Amino acid sequence: MRQAGRSWLPRLGQYALVLWVAVTLNFAIPRLAPGNPALIMHTGEGDPTPEELAELGEIYGLNEPVLVQYGRFWLDLLRGDLGLSTDHNRPVTDVLLERLPWSLVLVGLGLIGAIIIGTLIGAWSAWRREAGRPSQDKGTLVGVLAIDSMPGFWVGMLLIAVFSAQLGWFPSYASAQMPEGTLAGIAESGRRLAMPLATMIITSFGTYYMLARASMTTVLGEPFIRLARAKGLPERTVAIRHALRTALLPIATNAAIAAGSLVSGAVVVETVFSYPGLGKVIADAVAVRDYPLLQGAFLLATLGVIAANILVDLLYPLLDPRVRHSREELPV
Amino acid sequence: MSRTLALWRSLPLTSRLGFTIVAALILLALFGPLLAPYDPIERVTTPFAPPSSAHLLGADDVGHDLLSVLILGARPSLLVALLAAVAATCVGMLVGISAGYLRGAVDTVLMRIVDVVLALPVVPLTLVVGVLAGPGLFTQTLVISIALWAPMARELRAQVLSVRERDHIHALRAMGAGHGYMLTRHIVPAVGTLVVPQLVLAVKSAVMLEATLAFLGLGDVSSMSWGMMLSIANERSAFLTDAWLWWVVPPGALIGLTVLGFALAGGAVERTAAGRTVRPTRRRKPAPASAASTALAQTAPEAPLLEVDQLTVRYGDGEAATGGCTGVDLVLPRGRVLGLVGESGSGKSTVAAALVGLMAPAAQVAEGGIRMDGTDLLVLGPRERRGLLGSRIGLVPQEAQSALNPVHRAGDQIAEAVLTHQDLTREQARARAQELLDLVGLPAHAFRSYPHQLSGGQRQRVVIATALANDPDLLVADEPTSGLDVLVQQDILDLLSSLRERLGLTMVIVTHDLPVIAHIADDIAVMQAGFVVEQGETLRVLASPDDPYTQRLVGSLPDMAEFEEVR
Repeated sequence: MRQAGRSWLPRLGQYALVLWVAVTLNFAIPRLAPGNPALIMHTGEGDPTPEELAELGEIYGLNEPVLVQYGRFWLDLLRGDLGLSTDHNRPVTDVLLERLPWSLVLVGLGLIGAIIIGTLIGAWSAWRREAGRPSQDKGTLVGVLAIDSMPGFWVGMLLIAVFSAQLGWFPSYASAQMPEGTLAGIAESGRRLAMPLATMIITSFGTYYMLARASMTTVLGEPFIRLARAKGLPERTVAIRHALRTALLPIATNAAIAAGSLVSGAVVVETVFSYPGLGKVIADAVAVRDYPLLQGAFLLATLGVIAANILVDLLYPLLDPRVRHSREELPV
Repeated sequence: MSRTLALWRSLPLTSRLGFTIVAALILLALFGPLLAPYDPIERVTTPFAPPSSAHLLGADDVGHDLLSVLILGARPSLLVALLAAVAATCVGMLVGISAGYLRGAVDTVLMRIVDVVLALPVVPLTLVVGVLAGPGLFTQTLVISIALWAPMARELRAQVLSVRERDHIHALRAMGAGHGYMLTRHIVPAVGTLVVPQLVLAVKSAVMLEATLAFLGLGDVSSMSWGMMLSIANERSAFLTDAWLWWVVPPGALIGLTVLGFALAGGAVERTAAGRTVRPTRRRKPAPASAASTALAQTAPEAPLLEVDQLTVRYGDGEAATGGCTGVDLVLPRGRVLGLVGESGSGKSTVAAALVGLMAPAAQVAEGGIRMDGTDLLVLGPRERRGLLGSRIGLVPQEAQSALNPVHRAGDQIAEAVLTHQDLTREQARARAQELLDLVGLPAHAFRSYPHQLSGGQRQRVVIATALANDPDLLVADEPTSGLDVLVQQDILDLLSSLRERLGLTMVIVTHDLPVIAHIADDIAVMQAGFVVEQGETLRVLASPDDPYTQRLVGSLPDMAEFEEVR
C-alpha cells in the first residue's frame, strides 16, 4: 500500500523508471528473441529472401552497433515514431491514436462504474460484519469471488447470447461506423456501449470490493467511529459520513494500481464485442503477428497506467486533508 | 489419519469447499481419458447436434462430442496453470527471500525491480513476449510466470522480514550462526509453510491468464484447453446460435469454478477476513429490573442521577461466555464525581461501555440494571438509547487523541453533535461549537483545523467539547489522560475540575491511574477481575483501604506528598 504523504519527486522518478523499462523491453525483446529480428519487420507474403532481409536490416539499422540502434530507437520514439504497422501499413502512432478515444470511454466509464459498485458493496459487507452479521458478509464475499472468477470474454459471450441473440435488446457489436452526432446517434452509441461496459464492470468490480471491504474493516475499528457513535449519530451517518468517507483514502491509493488490470480486461472485452478500441487492435495484432503495433500498444498501455497513477496523486489531496495541509501547521 | 481429519474439521467451510472443488478437478484431469465417452478429435455425430442421450452436450460445428472435449480439456487447462504457478513461485521465493534476508542494497534493487514489474500492464506485456515466442505450452508457461512472480516476491519478502525479527532468530544470529545454516534450517522452513497458500492463489490467477491467452490465440493448438474451446466457439460465433448453451456455457463455467475453487482453497476468504473476529450474537433484552427496586427509585425524594444495580456483562454466548464484569453496584448522586479504578482487564471499561450503551457486539448484559433518573436504560430500544447518547450522556472515549475523524474539521465534528440533538440551523450550531471551543480553552481558529494540525492535548480538548455539546447530565470519561505527557495530563485534569465546578457536571472517570482520581473524584470504586472490591469516599478509601488489593494500589502511590495534601 502506498504511503499517503510521500513527496512527488521520488514518485515521478518511479514513473520515469517504469517508462524507461517499458521502452527498453520493447527494444530488447525482438533483438533477444531467436532468429533474425528483421524477419519480424517483414510485411510481405511468404518467407523473405536473404536480399529482402538484408534490405530490411538496412532500413531498420539492424546492422549497426546495439547502442547506436538504442539511441535511434529513443530518438524515433521522442518524435512520436513507433514504426510502421505491418498489418495496417500505416504508422503505428496513427493507428493507436485513432482508436485511443474509444478505449478511453470504455475503460474510463468501466473504471468509474467498477469503483462505485465495488466500493459500495464492499463497504456494506464490512459494515454487516461489524454489526454482528458475519454470515451476510461472508455470503457476499463468496458471491463476489464467484463473479470475479468468471473469465471476462465468457461473460461477454453470455451477454451476447442472452441479450442479443435471444432477446434482441442490444447489438452484439459496436462497430466504428457511428450515426451522426445527433441525439439519436448518442442514444445508439449508448446502446452499443451498454454490454461491453457491463462486462467490464462485472469482471472488474471484485478488485474494488476487496479493497473497500478491507479498508472499511480497518476504519470501523478506529476510535473515531466510537466517538461518532458517542455523539448519538444515526448508524447510517456513522457508516457513510465517518466510516466510508475515511475508508476512501486507501481505496483511492490502490485504485490506480488496479487500473492496469482494467487495460488487460479491455483487450478481451473489446475482442468479444468487436469494439474498435486499443484492445481490439492488440488482439488483431496478435492474430496477424503485427509486432510493431503490439509494441506500440504495450507502450501506450504503460503510459495509461502511469497517467492513472498521476491522476490519483493529483486528486488525492482533495480526499485527505492531512496531505493538503501538511505545510500549514497551526501554532500550538 | 485422525489428525488429518481433525485438521480438515478445523478448516472453515469455504476452504473445505475450495479443496473439494480442486480435488474434483484434479481427478477429472487425471482420469479424463477414461471418463470421456468419445475421441474428442473424431467426428462422431452431425455438426451442431443438440444434446441427446448419446451426446449429453451435443456437438460443435464439426461434429466432435463436446462432453469429451470438455472432459479432456481439464488436463491442459490445469497443467499450464500449475507449471506456471510453480515457476512463478520459485522465482518469487528466490527474489523475496534474497531481498528479505540480505536486505540493504540487494533488497532495494530487487524491490525496485518488483515495483516496476507490478506497474507494467500485464496482458499487453505477455502478448508482446508471447507473439515473439510463438503459441504453445512453453510460451504460455513463460508469460504467465512473468506476470505472476512479482506480487509473490513482495509478499514473501514481507514474511521473511517478520521471521527475521523473531526472538530465536535473533538469538541464533547473536550466537554466530552462518547464513547457510540460518537459511536452510530456519528461514526457508518458516516461510515455506506460508508459500503454500501463495502457490494456490497463483494457480488461480494462472488459470484465468491461461484462458485469456488461449482466447487471444496464444494457446497450445495441439491440446484443447477450456480457453481454446471458448476461443474457437467465439470464432465460429457459437453464441449467436442455440449451440451457446452447450458449447459456450460449460467450459466458461468450469474455468470459473476452477478459479473460485483455488481462490477459496488458498484461504482468500480468511486472508481478507483476517483482523478482528466478531462473534455473532443477537442482543438480548435483559430482564427488566425488579418492580420493587423501580418503585423505590421513583419514591425516593433525592434520587441519585445514576444507579447501577448488580450489573453483569459477559462476552460471547452460553458456556463460552467470559470476561466482562460481575454484580457491579454503583450509586452516583447528582454533581458528584466517581472514579472507577482498576488495571486493564478489570472490567472498568466494560462498565463504562455499558453505561453509555456502546458495548462490543459480542458483549451482552447477563443481568442487572442501569437506571438514570429512575429510567432503566437497558430496556430502551437502540433508537431511544441513541437519543440519550450525546445529549444527556456525554462520552470521552479511550484514545481520545485519535478519536477525531482525520478528514473533517474539528469545529464541524463538534457542530455535528449539536445538530444531531438540537433543532438548530447550521450557523447556530457553528456558533455553539465556537462557544464550546472557548469553554475548553481552545482558540477560535481551532474550529477550522483538521485533527492532524492540533496537538494531543488540543485534540483531547476538542473531544471533551464534543461530549459537552448538548449540556449532558452525565459525563463518562474513559482514561482521559492516557497517551498524554505529564504536564498536559495535569492541564486536562484541571480542565475537567473547572468544568465540573462551572457546569455542575456529574462525572464517571475511568482510569488505571489512582493519582488522577485522588484529585477530583469524590468517590472511588476499585475494580479487580470484574468485581468491585472496594468503594467509598475518596478520602476514606485512600486513608484506610479495607481490601488488600486497594491497599496495594494505595501503597504503590508514587507521590505520597500528593496523598498527604489530599488528606
